[in-house]
Amino acid sequence: MNASKLDFLLRSKLPLIVFVIIASFTLTYFVSRPERDGVGYTPDQPIQFSHLLHSGQMQIDCKYCHISVDKTRYATVPSVSTCMNCHSIARKDRPQIIKLTEYYNNNIPLPWKRIHKVPEYAYFNHSVHVNKGIECSSCHGPVEQMEKVGQLNSFTMGSCLSCHREAHDRFPELKNQINKGPEYCSACHR
Amino acid sequence: MSENLEKQSLDNNPDPNYWRSFKELYNDKETIEKKFHEFEKGVTDEFDPNENLSGLSRRKFLALLGASAAFAGVACTDYRDKGEIIPYNIKPEEITLGKPNFYASTCTGCNSNCGILIKTREGRPIKIDGNPDHPVNQGKICSKGQASILNLYDPERIKSPLRKNYNVFSETDWKSVDDDIINVLTNSGSKEIALVTHKINSPTTLKLLNDFKNEYPNTKIYSYELFNDSIRNSAWLKSYGSGNFPLINWNEAEVILALESDFLGADENRIENSRLFAQSRDVDSKKFNRLYVAESGMTLTGINADYRLSIRPEHQLEFVLGLISELKKKGVVQIPLDFNVNIYDLAKKNNLDSKKVDYLINDLSAKKGKSIIYAGNSLPEDVHIAVNLLNEILGNSKLYRKDSASVDVLPISNYKDFEELVNKIKNNQVAAVIHLNSNPVYHLPEDIGYKEVLSKFENVFSLSETMSESCQISKFILPINHNFESWGDYKTRTGIISLSQPVIMPLHNSRQLESILLTWIKKDSQSYSDTIYHDYLKTNWQENIYPKYSTSISFDKFWYSALHNGFISFTENIDSNLNFNYGAVKFENIQSSNSGFTLVLKESYSLGDGRYANNGWLQELPHPVSKITWDNYAAISHSTAKSLGLKDNDLIEVQVAERKLRIPVFVQAGNTDNTVVIELGYGREYSGIVATGVGFNANKLLSKNSDYSPWIYKNVKISKIQGKYILASTQEHHSFDIPREQDLHLKRHIVVEGTVSEYLRNPAFIKDKHQIEHESVYTPFEYKEVKWGMSIDLNKCLGCGDCVVACNVENNVPVVGKDQVLKSREMQWLRIDRYYSGSPDDPKISTQPMLCQHCDLAPCENVCPVVATTHSPDGLNQMTYNRCVGTRYCSNNCPYKVRRFNFFNYRDHFRNGYQENPVFALLNNPEVTVRSRGVMEKCTFCVQRISDARSEAIRQGRKVKGSDVKTACQDACPTSAIKFGDINNPEEEFYKYRNHELGYYSLSELNIKPNVTYIAKLRNIHSEEL
Repeated sequence: MNASKLDFLLRSKLPLIVFVIIASFTLTYFVSRPERDGVGYTPDQPIQFSHLLHSGQMQIDCKYCHISVDKTRYATVPSVSTCMNCHSIARKDRPQIIKLTEYYNNNIPLPWKRIHKVPEYAYFNHSVHVNKGIECSSCHGPVEQMEKVGQLNSFTMGSCLSCHREAHDRFPELKNQINKGPEYCSACHR
Repeated sequence: MSENLEKQSLDNNPDPNYWRSFKELYNDKETIEKKFHEFEKGVTDEFDPNENLSGLSRRKFLALLGASAAFAGVACTDYRDKGEIIPYNIKPEEITLGKPNFYASTCTGCNSNCGILIKTREGRPIKIDGNPDHPVNQGKICSKGQASILNLYDPERIKSPLRKNYNVFSETDWKSVDDDIINVLTNSGSKEIALVTHKINSPTTLKLLNDFKNEYPNTKIYSYELFNDSIRNSAWLKSYGSGNFPLINWNEAEVILALESDFLGADENRIENSRLFAQSRDVDSKKFNRLYVAESGMTLTGINADYRLSIRPEHQLEFVLGLISELKKKGVVQIPLDFNVNIYDLAKKNNLDSKKVDYLINDLSAKKGKSIIYAGNSLPEDVHIAVNLLNEILGNSKLYRKDSASVDVLPISNYKDFEELVNKIKNNQVAAVIHLNSNPVYHLPEDIGYKEVLSKFENVFSLSETMSESCQISKFILPINHNFESWGDYKTRTGIISLSQPVIMPLHNSRQLESILLTWIKKDSQSYSDTIYHDYLKTNWQENIYPKYSTSISFDKFWYSALHNGFISFTENIDSNLNFNYGAVKFENIQSSNSGFTLVLKESYSLGDGRYANNGWLQELPHPVSKITWDNYAAISHSTAKSLGLKDNDLIEVQVAERKLRIPVFVQAGNTDNTVVIELGYGREYSGIVATGVGFNANKLLSKNSDYSPWIYKNVKISKIQGKYILASTQEHHSFDIPREQDLHLKRHIVVEGTVSEYLRNPAFIKDKHQIEHESVYTPFEYKEVKWGMSIDLNKCLGCGDCVVACNVENNVPVVGKDQVLKSREMQWLRIDRYYSGSPDDPKISTQPMLCQHCDLAPCENVCPVVATTHSPDGLNQMTYNRCVGTRYCSNNCPYKVRRFNFFNYRDHFRNGYQENPVFALLNNPEVTVRSRGVMEKCTFCVQRISDARSEAIRQGRKVKGSDVKTACQDACPTSAIKFGDINNPEEEFYKYRNHELGYYSLSELNIKPNVTYIAKLRNIHSEEL
């Protein structure tokens, strides 16, 4: 191999290749970031339940169904019997309600698709946040406007911490009620 | 033990500071060398990088195959899929997701029948605590009770009825088994139906057994306990004419003399005994009792003694009578009897310090009516009668409880009854032998011939939770419910009946024992229903118990409130008129002769009579004295070992009459010479994978007729045999990295001790002597709000280890197995350190629970390269598993050696993945991460409980308080030695202990500011000894 060819390879081609690799990696990394964090994930549910209808138009309180959101670390997906409180009478003729009633009558578990998830080693506590006055929509977005619920925000440790650090800026109306969120490890990991 | 140790031990005088084993005492080079290393030699040698790396081994091929399959799988799945959330169809009213429910019930682990609270999460039991309202145990429960939850989830429980065909068990259905057995029972004719059971404590079960008798009139009940108090009670009957041996107000005793008795350790009532005992070891009220222990083997009671007298068990009668004679001679007591025993002769015979005997006699005469003498269950009747007499003439009967007494629902049978049963089987007079949750083949002495005769007998039916020696020779094995799946009532003392209720549906195709019997009583296999015994129990309560409990509330209300509380209490008169029958005092053979060794057989501290053998947590709980795990052994004294040329781990053969046993030796400091102490409960042949083959079956040494007592044998021969058996002891693990130096404990402040008289003279003597104030290079961090701290009162800590098991259950600590314990890899977050000081024949013993001290200036935090261990603003030393990369620097730098590293995924590693069985997933505490291989872990101060309290406080709109949190070890401690709370809040009870005048920090000169305060141990010894 003569010197000029090697020179060309090292001086021009190699940096170009390296640049292209780094650039495409960086671009992919940042562009795919929300997708990898699950933002925009809107799966089909076994029952086409509409938060827009129930929570938006009919203005049923979140806590009517998500009963333990202010009591324990789980918000709780409602049991089928909660739906049947109304639907044993209301809209019994709709296909989705007939399907729901079948689940209920045959005692078949209703497998809702999970949308929001923090890893098992992080112990997120709903009740602490709700009881401090943080709105559900702060993390979950305007669910009452969603026909089909999907994930709007990222649920990474970075997102948790940025809110914990800027709590007073994010919730100016709660400035006098809340402290900054904890940043120490065992607040979430144990 | 190295060879040169023996030589050294002859000319080296042991120095009088703290030591943990003989190797350490005599400066064994290997042991000292070991202390310089963080890990045992070879501990990191498991993976040799040069080995098998070149060739593509079968394992590696499979690993590659798996990995490529996994990669391919990942590429094809919907990676955004996060699984499903499946709610209840109809949510049970009482369940709030994430909130535990507590149910009151009763522990059936032994005959104490303590009240328990079962913590359940979403319908599965995850933790057992004592029922705080229960009058007997008052919120505390022993290690066996704590660990019994592991037995519920034991994957080796029998899952459906088994029938033996050609010596192989095959699964069958309940109907065919029930039909076959009912057929045998109804056609029994004049032949006997033998029901073999442990002690019956349930009034309703007794009624049911009587119904069974009415249906099948030839039924006979044989109830037995391997360890029981029948000798004590029969002696009481002879002395006083009625009733059982009374309960004792230990808290009112100022002087306690325990004779061969482990009333704080292995005895049945030990939770109550410990609580009452520790009430008079109180630095607040400055009330201190004085405990004398005269015993042969070193027991948990013995290590807590102020004065310990090492006496051969067969000299106990002479000892008691010597005391009486001496007290009479001094004019302290007047009795018309004369025994002519000189206690000082006996003292000489046993090499006792006559000064100690003087102290004892002086104390007994000075504290007349405020002392108690208590003889162990294993001592023969004569000793008990003599002890009753001594208590009577000293006026100590004042300390017997008048408000409550122990009762036997059904007295137990004796070995003679079983001999008769064996004869009847031989003579073809028995139709069926039914084992009701009992294991007589393992428990009964071999010379009764029970096993032999039963192996040839056809109709043996065993009702059992797990496989056992008795199941093995049965025709049918019927799986029964665990206690947590069962109904029941229990009465062990007057005025209290406890209830137990199921907290989970039966996990397997098992039935409650009583329900099975009810089906047989009805003679119809179809009559079974899930509620059959519940209805029977409720009816019995309505008909027989409710009317006696004169109350105006309806039965339903009465029943549900009893279920809620877990017990009912009512007034029941007891015969408190005690008239001592002097006619019973007739002793022959006061002077005992013994040509050989004396053998003492004891109940195992953790396994009981062997029924907890398949419980890994209990197998791995170090013995409170020897710290040995996973084995039993023959404990002999230092000088006996020397004269026989024995060392630790040498095998010996113990021979009692014709019965022989091979067992390894452990040299126990403080043991009486020429006495061998062996614990029973080990050496199970047919149990689960955990227990089978662990330890040695010393039940083989039992005999139906003993020359002394059923648990103590004289004229025993011992011979050394070839071979060694390595015992896994934790006593030298996690030791300090400096050689032994003079007065190490004083210089380094690990254990700080004083005497009661010193304390009363100068309450601040600990601070005066040991307080060191250092300057720190760090600017102190300001803890503005709650700061968590713990205090441990060494006066109350007995060293039992209940806290260790509680911690295991709460924090999902795995079992590692004997091979790993040998490598010093046990995972317990909390350990009980035990130090000896003084001579090997009469050592003083200090125990100290050691856990993460959550130092303000924690040395572990500085060295972590990945910041996995950090400090929280509420004073916790945090461990973040996900960050940990396993350098183990933190553990190396921890002066207390309380960090534990996961060298393996122990759930997978132990017994071939035994703990990975899916059923164990139900056992884990959902609030605590299950750690895997390669991460460091340690005590978190139960941070999950702190978080829980914090969220509850936020819900109530207030700040969290120190008293909101109780750690698992604190909950479990039977003597309430452990206190937890907020260091910054002067209004809390904890504050007093944190800043106590006797408080000190372990290794305080390191100036790392621990958040665990120890309250210095005070020995209540005579001040002239100083």
